[in-house]
Amino acid sequence: MNFIDTHLLSLTLFLPSIAAIFMLLLPNGNDKLTRWFAFGVSLIPFLLSLVMWSRFDPGQPGFQFEESYVWYEAIGSSLHLGVDGLSLTMVLLTTLLTPLAILASFSITDRVKPYMMLFLLLETGMLGVFMALDLLIFFVFWEVGLVPMYFLINQWGSANRNYASLKFLIYTMGGSLGLLLAIQMLGVLFGTYDLLTLYQRWNSLVPGSLLLGLPVQTVKTIAFWAFAIAFTIKVPVWPFHTWLPDAHTEAPTAGSMILAGVLLKLGAYGFLRLILPLYPFEARVFAGALALLATAAIVFGAFGAYAQTDFKRLVAYSSVNHMGFVVLGIAAAGLAAGTADANIALNGAILQMFNHGLSAAGMFFLVGVIYERTHTRNLNEFGGLFPLVPVYGGILIFTSMASLGLPGLNGFISEFLVVRGAFPILTVYTAISMLGLLFTGAYILKGITKVLHGPLNEHWAHGEHKLTEISTREILVMAPLMALILWNGIWPAWILNVINKAVVMLF
Amino acid sequence: MTTETLIWLIPLPPVLAFFLIVLFTNKNKALSHTLAVGAAFLSWLGSMIVFVRALGVEHLGEHPFESSLNWLPTGDTWFRIGVLVDPLSAAVLFFVAWTVLMIFIYSVGYHNYGQPEGDQDVKGLPPRGAIVNAHGHKHAVPSVEPMYSRFFAFIGLFAFGMYVLVLSDNLLTLFVGWEIMGLCSYLLIGFWYAKKSARDAAVKAFMTTRVGDVFMLLGIAWLYSYTGTLNFREIFQPELLERMGNAMAFPELAMRWPALFPFISSFSIAGAIALLLFVGTVGKSAQFPLHVWLPDAMEGPTPVSAMIHAATMVSAGVYAVVRMFPLLEADVTGTSMAVVAFIGAFTAIFAATIAVAQNDIKRVLAYSTISQLGFMIAALGIGAYVAAVFHLITHAFFKALLFLGSGSVIHGMEHGVLHTGNHHVDAQDMFNMGGLRRKMPITFWTFLIGGFALSGFPLITAGFWSKDEILAEAFGHGHWWVFITLAVAAFLTAFYTMRQITLTFLGEPRTKEAEHAQETPWTMTVPLVILAFFAVAYGWIGVPTGFPVLGGLLPNWLHEFVGGTLAEHPEALAFNWIPLGTSLFVALGGLYFGWLTYRNVNSPAEDRLQIPLLKNKYYFDEIYDRLFVKPAYWFAETFVYKWMDQGLIDSILHLFGPLTDKIGSFIRKYIDLLILNDAGDGSYKATWWFGRNLRGVQTGRIQQYLMFALAIFMLVGAALYFYFRYFRLVA
Amino acid sequence: MVPLSWYLILAAALFSIGLFGVLSRRNAVAILLGIELMLNAVNINLAAFWRYGNVLHMAGQVFAIIVFAVAAAEVAVGLALVISVYRKRNTVIADDIDLMKW
Repeated sequence: MNFIDTHLLSLTLFLPSIAAIFMLLLPNGNDKLTRWFAFGVSLIPFLLSLVMWSRFDPGQPGFQFEESYVWYEAIGSSLHLGVDGLSLTMVLLTTLLTPLAILASFSITDRVKPYMMLFLLLETGMLGVFMALDLLIFFVFWEVGLVPMYFLINQWGSANRNYASLKFLIYTMGGSLGLLLAIQMLGVLFGTYDLLTLYQRWNSLVPGSLLLGLPVQTVKTIAFWAFAIAFTIKVPVWPFHTWLPDAHTEAPTAGSMILAGVLLKLGAYGFLRLILPLYPFEARVFAGALALLATAAIVFGAFGAYAQTDFKRLVAYSSVNHMGFVVLGIAAAGLAAGTADANIALNGAILQMFNHGLSAAGMFFLVGVIYERTHTRNLNEFGGLFPLVPVYGGILIFTSMASLGLPGLNGFISEFLVVRGAFPILTVYTAISMLGLLFTGAYILKGITKVLHGPLNEHWAHGEHKLTEISTREILVMAPLMALILWNGIWPAWILNVINKAVVMLF
Repeated sequence: MTTETLIWLIPLPPVLAFFLIVLFTNKNKALSHTLAVGAAFLSWLGSMIVFVRALGVEHLGEHPFESSLNWLPTGDTWFRIGVLVDPLSAAVLFFVAWTVLMIFIYSVGYHNYGQPEGDQDVKGLPPRGAIVNAHGHKHAVPSVEPMYSRFFAFIGLFAFGMYVLVLSDNLLTLFVGWEIMGLCSYLLIGFWYAKKSARDAAVKAFMTTRVGDVFMLLGIAWLYSYTGTLNFREIFQPELLERMGNAMAFPELAMRWPALFPFISSFSIAGAIALLLFVGTVGKSAQFPLHVWLPDAMEGPTPVSAMIHAATMVSAGVYAVVRMFPLLEADVTGTSMAVVAFIGAFTAIFAATIAVAQNDIKRVLAYSTISQLGFMIAALGIGAYVAAVFHLITHAFFKALLFLGSGSVIHGMEHGVLHTGNHHVDAQDMFNMGGLRRKMPITFWTFLIGGFALSGFPLITAGFWSKDEILAEAFGHGHWWVFITLAVAAFLTAFYTMRQITLTFLGEPRTKEAEHAQETPWTMTVPLVILAFFAVAYGWIGVPTGFPVLGGLLPNWLHEFVGGTLAEHPEALAFNWIPLGTSLFVALGGLYFGWLTYRNVNSPAEDRLQIPLLKNKYYFDEIYDRLFVKPAYWFAETFVYKWMDQGLIDSILHLFGPLTDKIGSFIRKYIDLLILNDAGDGSYKATWWFGRNLRGVQTGRIQQYLMFALAIFMLVGAALYFYFRYFRLVA
Repeated sequence: MVPLSWYLILAAALFSIGLFGVLSRRNAVAILLGIELMLNAVNINLAAFWRYGNVLHMAGQVFAIIVFAVAAAEVAVGLALVISVYRKRNTVIADDIDLMKW
């Protein structure tokens, strides 16, 4: 027991990978065993994160459940893990979505074992980023998350998967190049990669002094851009977003759920954990540009979504749209760090990360449900499916309304907080982003109307193409998401409190 | 239990009904409507108890029922939400509870509960009747709505939204209720989703109101960030209001464009925020220019129209402005109020002119609603707080009555359609009706009362009292243009209302279907009667004290009660004959002329007011389509997606691939292959060449070898000799 | 005594004649004869240097005797080779024995 208590983070982090390797020993061909094993194993980190949540003390500053192991002493890098309010929220999201994604993957029948193994490895990668308190470890896990995703898209994806997976991998990796170099520079300069140490020492550098022969300010600016580019590609911030529609559309259902639900948040998390604390000055200088890009993401994401005829692509663009709000909040916080408005904006941004994870995962899953039955994602080929699949229709409307930001559901709270927080700081941008909000309604309604309402497309009503209702397993995937969406819309204090305290203490 | 707890509980039954119906009782019609009507009844009961208790409190405006709790953590503080019942919300709660309950009961009959299921009925389309065998021969009867439970679920959610809006103590939860109602209006207007017109109308409603909502959200964010709260009572502190009312909204802009300084500086912060919030109302209450969704919203079932366009949603828009009235008033320049008054008055007359040319019984009422809302907005714009609230409440009653009445008429006409079997006859076209007063007496009398109330028939109808007060306030405070506009609009109102009544009920039936119309069941007529009662009686609680004869008999309870909501109790207006005379003239005159003109008109051709401009609603739909909708499509599909994303951004990205390819090929061709590879190859070639060319030395002839050996020996010897002689200095 | 240089000149002359013979005679046996001449010239050289150098030092004489033995052995082997080649190729002309040509 004590071992578990003191090793909560590392257990949560490594259990999926260990299980993945263990799965090699499972007998081939027994898909049922493989699936249920993977699902069962993925529940354990979820339970552990619930334990962590209950034991977490929001009022305590700094990181909790810290663990540190020797890794690469010669260069000053250790496996230093720890969580605070911000990362714990993300850890919870990850460990919640992974079992649901695995449950959603039960319909995969082709090479189930490698699929599940890749998923579990992916979970480790994502969790590692959120828990890492050492820059090198952060980077390692950052890249670790890319490889399984590449294979998932490449091997189990749709028609255009080669292009999409390659684009995703190269683009994101290309962005991380600068990140690696900057991390190396930091490690070499200070002899350590430990984030907590770096926070203090990096920020206590005297401006005007020389570093590597260049003035400190120049070095900091270069490092800032190196960090920023990696994260802006990952989030993704307009105009680096074009990998997202392709990757999301071509990925298998569960892959899209995790991609939209968690992987995008890695970028935003990088902003919050690394850029804002390490480069407050540069962040303030460039926050205006970031806000412009965020607004562009909101507006163009909404318009882009509205233009789609492919259902999944529409949802992918909606992710660009929603993440735009996150970045807007972050930009506002960068501009006016420490003020109450920035605080509210950050609350909204972080909550939006969590909420979007839920609703995006839900939407992608629902698209997957209909895709599995109809083998098409073309909106124009659906039509009037509501009487055929009323339960699915109801769930789709519910989740779509969450995506739309209907008050009473989770999306509204986070979007309102971002708007409220960003308004006094970035008034014009916030006003322009309302245009995006308007068109969010347009594309959501377009999706609902084309799929559910409309004259019944007889093609799906009879014969071999007859649509089957959503199954129990699929409802079970959606149920926790829907419950959380509703709960977060009505009573978000349970998570907002943790986030709020963390934000107050961090910024 | 305490009143506060009761207030918290009021919105709960309808939303519980919603969840229960959606999750569990969907298949069972009886259980679903019992849940829904029962929930509406419970909310009604709670509302009545709260209302009665509110009446008993002295100076409710200063000590309202309120209760709040911490909801969102924001830095070191909390954002609180809660409930508030002050005189305004008590008065509004009263009519909301009654109209909602009446509409719920009405819906049971409207959707033909108890009737058989139609064999041709499809979910998503209106029911088309069932064939039964009765009295020996086949008989077409109305069939029950296939999506019966779904309807009750949605109106339950709708009622929840409205209650939340009315009872909330802050702008945020008001907005929550607002948007929830927006969603429900989408779902309900598009209830028969298999009809394209219904789908399009639903999307149109949602998007148009969303335009307003987006501006409202900005206003809320601004207000919150300026004042640090959204709680009504905290915002309306006099010092805060004064500060907001005096500070300029856009100081930097005003400095930057001195030419526009007078214009920009006329917006104080209070005024700017109030205007932003007002845009939300423009959308929700279908004022010009966001009015286009409301007539199309008639696609929904009639109870929905009643609910949305009379009792709840559009009233919510006006309620929001009424609520924020102190903010509007705080604006020292008065620009915002002028804008509000203008839009209200313009909408009033604009919509009235369109209403006279409509043939569909529901469309007339739709435009009538827009017009009457314009009256209320105009009243607020000129500062007539109590008059606006009065008209809001009376309008809710008589408009709901009229809509439900029209639904009853349509039902009766459909009976006739089923009888004749001619489904091409539009049961909603007034020119197909006529003489229905004999076939549907209850509907006729209640509709008459409602119509008279709408027209402002003197003394006995509530509409007279409320409309008269607005006109009196306009006249009394010197707002001539508003007065004249509203008076003309009132004339037109009476005119088209009488037109409607004449064409529908008076005269002789013009079609066979009208001949076979039938009165509707009690579930539909009883609500009509109850609403008719209110349409008459409610007016008597607001009789102005200065009114001749009747003035002193009944106290102006409404003025006292609702006026207490504001910090400063508004003065009662002194009595003046001119507005009263105008009011009487336009009401009676309009009614008379309406009857006169239309008693002999039997077809659209004879109707001289069927001007295309009016019929086509001044072509606003087409204008908006060209101006906004099509460009939006183009922007989304072509500009953003094709040109920008795929064309521009992806092209740049796609440069990287081939570029890397080219660099790679270059390196391969010129460095790898040419230099490295060929160097390796070259060395072997050189060696080979040497070997090939040197092998000639190997002749195989011994003497030759010996010769070479000798020669080389001598060379080496000489070299060594010279080396040792001259370099090593060995003697 | 006669000056040393006369013996050396004699030995050089003999050596040159022998060398010339080796390099220019066609017949393989004649080449061997030339080699014999060269070896004998070396012997003369050795004896001369012994007599005109340190008489007591035996090395000169011993060396000369070794040369004799080697010459004899070498002629034996050489002639055996020539006879073997003649039996195979039916020729003793050195120039025609050029199988080791490239």
